[in-house]
Amino acid sequence: MFLDFSNKSTWLNQVNPSFKLLLFVFLFVGLLFIDNIHFYLYFTIGLLIIYFLMTGFPIKWLLIFISPFFIIFLSSFISMALFGEGETLWYRFGMIHITQESFFRGIHLGLRGIIFGFLGLIFALTTKPVMFFYSTMQQYRLKPKLAYSFMAAIRLLPMVAEEVYVLKQALKVRGVIFPKGISGFYQRLKYYSVPILAQSIRRAHRIAIAMEAKQFDGNAKRTYYYQSGYSYHDIWFCLLLLGGIMICFFLQNNFTFLPVERVIN
Amino acid sequence: MKNKLTLTDILVTVVIAVVFSVIYKIWGPLYNTLSIFGLHIDQLVYGMWFMAATVAFLIIRKPGVALLAELAAAQGEFLFGGQWGISLLLYGLVQGLGCELIFALFRYKNYQIFVLCLAAIGATIGSLWLDIYYGYITELVWWNLALLILFRTAGAIVITGFFAYYLVKALEKTGVTNLVRPVNETHYKALDEEAR
Amino acid sequence: MKKQGDIMEQIAISMEGLKVKFPNEKSFLFMDLSLTVKQGEKVLLVGPSGGGKSTLLKILAGIIPNSVEIPMKYTNSILPERYGYVFQDPDSQFCMPYADEEIAFVLENLQIPFQKMAELIPYYLDTVGLHLSDIHTKINQLSGGMKQRLAIASVLALQPDVLFLDEPTAMLDEEGTDQVWDSVMKIASDKTVIIVEHKIEQVYDFVDRIIMINTAGEIIADGEPYKMIEEHLDLFRKYGIWYPGVWKGLNKPSFQNQLSFNPAITITQLTGYKIKKEIIHIDTAHVTKGDWIAITGANGSGKSTLLQSLAKLIKTKGTVHYSFTQDIPFYRKVGFVFQNPELQFVTNTVYDELAFSLLNIPLSEQEKRQRISDHLAIFQLDHVKNIHPFQLSVGQMKRLSIAAITIMEPEILLLDEPTFGQDAANTFRMLDYFVSLHQKGTTILMVTHDQQISEHFATAEWTMDAGKLLTISTKRTCRVEGKQNVLGL
Repeated sequence: MFLDFSNKSTWLNQVNPSFKLLLFVFLFVGLLFIDNIHFYLYFTIGLLIIYFLMTGFPIKWLLIFISPFFIIFLSSFISMALFGEGETLWYRFGMIHITQESFFRGIHLGLRGIIFGFLGLIFALTTKPVMFFYSTMQQYRLKPKLAYSFMAAIRLLPMVAEEVYVLKQALKVRGVIFPKGISGFYQRLKYYSVPILAQSIRRAHRIAIAMEAKQFDGNAKRTYYYQSGYSYHDIWFCLLLLGGIMICFFLQNNFTFLPVERVIN
Repeated sequence: MKNKLTLTDILVTVVIAVVFSVIYKIWGPLYNTLSIFGLHIDQLVYGMWFMAATVAFLIIRKPGVALLAELAAAQGEFLFGGQWGISLLLYGLVQGLGCELIFALFRYKNYQIFVLCLAAIGATIGSLWLDIYYGYITELVWWNLALLILFRTAGAIVITGFFAYYLVKALEKTGVTNLVRPVNETHYKALDEEAR
Repeated sequence: MKKQGDIMEQIAISMEGLKVKFPNEKSFLFMDLSLTVKQGEKVLLVGPSGGGKSTLLKILAGIIPNSVEIPMKYTNSILPERYGYVFQDPDSQFCMPYADEEIAFVLENLQIPFQKMAELIPYYLDTVGLHLSDIHTKINQLSGGMKQRLAIASVLALQPDVLFLDEPTAMLDEEGTDQVWDSVMKIASDKTVIIVEHKIEQVYDFVDRIIMINTAGEIIADGEPYKMIEEHLDLFRKYGIWYPGVWKGLNKPSFQNQLSFNPAITITQLTGYKIKKEIIHIDTAHVTKGDWIAITGANGSGKSTLLQSLAKLIKTKGTVHYSFTQDIPFYRKVGFVFQNPELQFVTNTVYDELAFSLLNIPLSEQEKRQRISDHLAIFQLDHVKNIHPFQLSVGQMKRLSIAAITIMEPEILLLDEPTFGQDAANTFRMLDYFVSLHQKGTTILMVTHDQQISEHFATAEWTMDAGKLLTISTKRTCRVEGKQNVLGL
């Protein structure tokens, strides 16, 4: 959605956005308490199916979006695998000791990273920000002040991107050369963020004034251009998730092939 | 009344947060690349993800700003398809709360650098707490866990504390922060005194 | 001239004994100002930049102190209940991404049921003459003029009695300016209108009354437009207002010295890309040393891209050959001034900004100080030398951005719309300086919308169209000569 493929729309777009988010948050918390590695494996496969078949994006884009997943997996996996606690020792070299428990716990964490990444992408690719904020205002009483601030801020982003581009050119024109190391990093941070933030704050200030001049009262009752409510799509979506979870539990209990089942003792 | 968030306060906070959410999103791959080395080098840059809270608070200086900024930045990163997806929202919440609590302890009146460093530690504690459930960090060998905590805290103090402090100092010089700082009584009195 | 048939004698706005003082400022912005506007009256507020016209407009609308807190007092006031306010910057007065959503935002604020919105939105867009093929069009894709029209349409939805226009065309080109005034005239006949503007040519016939405010925040003249111009022409000139016929009666530069025929830039088969897309293609063109080239053309014709290609700021193919006399880094030989000055600043004070440019130039400290103080004087920045660049006025900022580049004494100067959005006084001051640089032999390439500049100053005009160089017309083969201050300011 940030990349703005507004014409792509599947039934997942029709699911009430804030309800979708709520379900995902429940899912998130629930998944934290599941330490069965088989469940995670099957769940990942399930999300893969939803991701590739139900988001309505060309396969090429979908593959690009998940290209960082391997690194995500590795980054969550590596510390736990090499330095995690465990009893069945597989390998030891200096400070590194890989045990069966820590290895599979690492895999579990890697899968967890990927699962949450998938959930995030599925949400982002099937939800328009404006619709999301309209539905949170209407179904969950989010204060209009906050919702419209968000929408205005998101609108500003392309301008910020443009400014970063010009700034890069401008620093070249002024002959700015950054030193290496941490001082160079700080200088870069300063040269870029001070003008960008200053400009953004000024814009935000002006927009806030303009909104109030248009008689916006962030707390009062208002009508809504886009009507947001629940539909049978929400039921389907609920059923899809519930069904998926049931199947994963079933598979977890009947089809196990790894030597470890639970990664926490 | 002075402490209530106006539309301008909220909009400025959210805009700052959304700008940071883009930085956060770019920060992800960098963090991942560092993590390949294993020994928690990546934790040194973790503090970047707390920075929206301290920067926004230093600019607006009102209750609730730190929490709102961190939540909004996380929400932004999530909406742009950030790689941690749904977990971002909860991390944003606990990290924002960590900062907010520290600022509240000082009754939102102290903008010194050591308070920022404490806020950095607050956010670190918040994120570590969630990591117990999310990353099973308590299952790491003790020295490895200690290294993680040490690196994350140190990085947070440098980035969320020092960098944020000097960044806002630089912003103050541009005069832009005056737009959102409240006018006080003396300025009104000045209208009478010199008008005699 | 057009006059309102009958102005109702009722008061629309009245303000008495207004005092305003910004926090931490020494002097008052307004000290005992009083003003009355009748219903249906069309009023134009003019005055020098920084004179507080815009602040006054916000006070009359009630934006100050309701939305913005600035210490102020008054003895008595009548302010409008329903008003519409159009701001200067087309990019920072919308909160929604799409045109229809922005108008809907206003309708929502008024709690109009959503069923009605579907017909009201096109109605308001239509009223201001903004004809979109799809009302669900991204605001980012509209031109500046169309954005301002959308802003007018959205405040019309408020059904205002009074319309405040705060330099609505300052950031627009000529076409956009025409669009905006066209819309205003369509909708405002029955409304009270108060305008702040320094480009007054197009509104001059529309308004009934011009009020002039000086630097001290006092009303120094107030009357019918033609009388005002007749009686206070000197003030219009002094305050840099673009009144009708401002170019007439100025000392135009005279061109005497024959140009040399040494090439400065030779372009062959140049293609400029942005995000891998071809934006411009130039077969051949050359610039002679001492040329002053005006690059003109419609919005999006590739003028800025051409300039950026020459400055090596974007990806290009083909060749651009420069003949330089010195062997120093490129950025010091070819100076580039951006349209938006703010992004060009890297230090914390005006003085440091100039010093930064000299950092790598082999001069003694004494010479550097001398050069900086010379430039501060030329650009009238001496009194603000310790201020942060971001705190300067728009005109000062622009001057600083030019000074920071020209202090390096580049052989070739590339300027992207240097006079855009500037008041007349600033524009002439800048042109004066360019003339003096030109005299010293600097080659100038300048993107401009202003036909007058191209006519009176350029040695040649390049007209761009759809990424191609359409025509090259030579204006003169001489260089500007004569004493400085050719514009008589």
